[in-house]
Amino acid sequence: MSMEDYDFLFKIVLIGNAGVGKTCLVRRFTQGLFPPGQGATIGVDFMIKTVEIKGEKVKLQIWDTAGQERFRSITQSYYRSANALILTYDITCEESFRCLPEWLREIEQYASNKVITVLVGNKIDLAEKREVSKQRAEEFSEAQNMYYLETSAKESDNVEKLFLDLACRLISEARQNTLVNNVASPLPGEGKSISYLTCCNFN
Amino acid sequence: MADNLPSEFDVVVIGTGLPESIIASACSRSGQRVLHVDSRNYYGGNWASFSFSGLLSWIKENQEKTDVREDNENWRKLILETEEAISLNKKDNTIQHVEDVCYASQDLAEDVKEAGALPKLPAFGASDTSEAAQESEKECLPVESQSLGTESCETYPESVTCNDLESTTERKDAEMTSEREHLCDATFDQSALETGKTENVSTAKAAALEPKKITYAQIVKEGRRFNIDLVSKLLYSRGLLIDLLTKSNVSRYAEFKNVTRILAFQEGRVEQVPCSRADVFNSKKLTMVEKRMLMKFLTFCLEYEQHPDEYEDYKECTFSEYLKTQKLTANLQHFILHSIAMVSEANSDTIDGLKATKHFLQCLGRYGNTPFLFPLYGQGEIPQCFCRMCAVFGGIYCLRHSVQCLVVDKESGRCKALIDHFGQRISANYFVVEDSYLSEKTCTNVCYRQISRAVLITDQSVLKTDSDQQISILTVPPVERGQPAVRIIELCSSTMTCMRNTYLVHFTCSSTKTAKEDLEPVVRKLFSLNAETERESENGGGLGKPRVLWAVYFNMRDSSGIDRNSYDCLPSNVYVCSGPDCALGNDYAVKQAETFFQEMFPKEDFCPPPPNPEDIIYDGDGTQPEDPGFSSSSNTKTEPSPKESSDGDSCKVSEEHHEE
Ligand SMILES: Cc1cc2nc3c(=O)[nH]c(=O)nc-3n(C[C@H](O)[C@H](O)[C@H](O)COP(=O)(O)OP(=O)(O)OC[C@H]3O[C@@H](n4cnc5c(N)ncnc54)[C@H](O)[C@@H]3O)c2cc1C
Ligand SMILES: Nc1nc2c(ncn2[C@@H]2O[C@H](COP(=O)(O)OP(=O)(O)O)[C@@H](O)[C@H]2O)c(=O)[nH]1
Ligand SMILES: [Mg+2]
Repeated sequence: MSMEDYDFLFKIVLIGNAGVGKTCLVRRFTQGLFPPGQGATIGVDFMIKTVEIKGEKVKLQIWDTAGQERFRSITQSYYRSANALILTYDITCEESFRCLPEWLREIEQYASNKVITVLVGNKIDLAEKREVSKQRAEEFSEAQNMYYLETSAKESDNVEKLFLDLACRLISEARQNTLVNNVASPLPGEGKSISYLTCCNFN
Repeated sequence: MADNLPSEFDVVVIGTGLPESIIASACSRSGQRVLHVDSRNYYGGNWASFSFSGLLSWIKENQEKTDVREDNENWRKLILETEEAISLNKKDNTIQHVEDVCYASQDLAEDVKEAGALPKLPAFGASDTSEAAQESEKECLPVESQSLGTESCETYPESVTCNDLESTTERKDAEMTSEREHLCDATFDQSALETGKTENVSTAKAAALEPKKITYAQIVKEGRRFNIDLVSKLLYSRGLLIDLLTKSNVSRYAEFKNVTRILAFQEGRVEQVPCSRADVFNSKKLTMVEKRMLMKFLTFCLEYEQHPDEYEDYKECTFSEYLKTQKLTANLQHFILHSIAMVSEANSDTIDGLKATKHFLQCLGRYGNTPFLFPLYGQGEIPQCFCRMCAVFGGIYCLRHSVQCLVVDKESGRCKALIDHFGQRISANYFVVEDSYLSEKTCTNVCYRQISRAVLITDQSVLKTDSDQQISILTVPPVERGQPAVRIIELCSSTMTCMRNTYLVHFTCSSTKTAKEDLEPVVRKLFSLNAETERESENGGGLGKPRVLWAVYFNMRDSSGIDRNSYDCLPSNVYVCSGPDCALGNDYAVKQAETFFQEMFPKEDFCPPPPNPEDIIYDGDGTQPEDPGFSSSSNTKTEPSPKESSDGDSCKVSEEHHEE
């Protein structure tokens, strides 16, 4: 790890109701694919993409729910070490918007209080089926102090902007907190610490 | 949710405790279609951890003991003539004698809500103990715990961590301590920084002097930031669980801290035990001669199997008797028996003791200078981590999902399906069920032991040092021989289990009576309960015992070590997992999971490492969409679409390459 070539590493976690397009957003951004083959998600824990922002190499580790949101059974540990959360709903599905407060409660409960949350309304290519107006979503996100963006994973609208803006904000946040990022700070390896019998002061 | 649950799986796992979760992930990993359900709305069953308000709800639920037997037997209609039903439990009986007590000032308690709390914050009443006491008479606890004694110990596949510690002495050596702290800070701060989420470690040096006054209201308010476990265990750094976490890569979902101190309790004092070669060397308590004796003996223990002549004659003796025959002072014998081997003085034989000593020594130094690790946010994270792995490989998760019955085919005697609370029939080849889900009828002949537990929030460490961020383990030996020793684990705030300026202290022993009867005497030895008055009567401040701010006592059923034949009419393809056992480590759960998995799938590898996400190469054509939903985009090429441009002009994107 320590050899790796990046200046920042951030963990980004996606949440939101099933079917809103989380997996598609991740695949679109990391692989440029839409729609992603279903089978391909099996065994994939997170996706990686390294981007360059103002000369800094930023490695984004993007975690998907592994389907645990389907029956509202996301593990708390999923939220634990996220630097940013992308809370997604589907603009053509009122229900997915109405569930947002519940998601926010989970965030409040389990995520770090320093986490950055972005609200994303996905599937804007389906404008004719829109059920949630942009204004409503903007009002909501403002009230909750969240950044808001509308995307289409299908048409690749705003997908890159979403992740890159987020990366920019994570960098400035990290700088502000003078948070020494985890570059080249490997944890000590096995056996380096004390053991009874390695030295020979007694015998 | 409109989403429908499939009706056919290879394996259904009921309960999300540690062994069930390991099995679920192993099965899913090996390509089985897994359904994993839990009737509760949280993961882990009795292995769970809770925010403070969550714990209060749990307490209330278990005190109320509402009889939820909704006699809806509609599902019986779904059973065919060729089938038989084994109905499952409707309510959980594994927790008894729950008593919570608040000692902290409660002045403001009513105005304050946990930040971000769920709306239903349970009303808190400093519980009145009579209610629980009455219940305790109804229950036949002593009967249940009868088997605690000698023979039943043999049903434990593992005995290493059955501990029964007496005290040892070692004066804490200021120099060493600070050096060690330094080392630990350097070691562990990085993992904290890595994610930017952990609070600063060991900031308040002053805290050791004057404990901050913490009110109940503050605990409630900060409550969501910390996680309190129902079980109290540690991970041996070379134990089966660490091996499994490492091998399967599930370790990537959690973070750990090293236990920083091993403590001993002797003559009413808490003292630090030297726990490494350097500690021994620097110890002011041990004489030079003792240091040599100790090193010699420990060196022998590391390779005792090669020198059978040294202990052959003492195989039948207890380890403590064996130690008396060695060139060791009484002081050293205590030290080895209680702090290193951590075995029972009365019940552990020489081989047990040597084995345990060797294990301790081998674990030392892998990740730090004690043999133990503790997961950030508590042990309750670990089952969830395995569940995540299961889900990543396609396992389906449903909390709040109960099962009415298992359906057994009369002819083959095998379980073929279950019927859930919606009346849906779900079929599978194998069923893994946690013990507490089985009905009283199935368990009539099962004799359970009990674990006594106390969880305290306190205002100071039992042994103050300049760092307020210590993680300690301490065993208080029984007053009477043959009684259980009490294991204590004290956690500091950087483990994310308690708020700043407080400690979370877990007490555990095998039950002889109710948890409060078993443990309160030991709590009183170490802590002051009527803190307000006692503190005022002191005049130096800070010298008194730490105060208990809040406490809960409960008994938990120990369903480990039960022969499957004692369950009534269990089909051969139904596997019963145990709840948490009383041991310090997690080997029992891991062994059970591996054994069941291997019985189900003898040819499959148990939790092999998954492919590294960073190594997975996605080639555009390999991942052709199955559903033709958007045929327009079937020309899947991986270039990022050029039509997007981000705001920052200097933002560039490059595809990650997988050099590792
Ligand atoms: C389960 C486990 C927990 C550990 N916890 C700590 C710890 O809290 N503090 C510490 O200083 N050292 C910890 N270590 C030790 C330390 O990470 C390794 O000694 C060091 O990383 C070895 O470097 P490596 O390049 O060989 O392995 P790596 O590839 O860096 O790591 C080996 C394995 O350990 C896991 N791991 C590494 N660090 C942690 C961690 N902090 N928490 C959880 N899993 C981790 C990795 O995901 C990987 O699976 C842990 C190791 C393991 C296996
Ligand atoms: N029209 C349109 N459909 C989308 C978009 N994103 C996802 N989908 C579709 O929505 C469904 C669910 O997407 P998925 O990414 O699996 O959602 P998840 O459950 O949130 O991960 C799939 O059928 C996708 O093809 C989008 O931007 N536009
Ligand atoms: Mg998805």
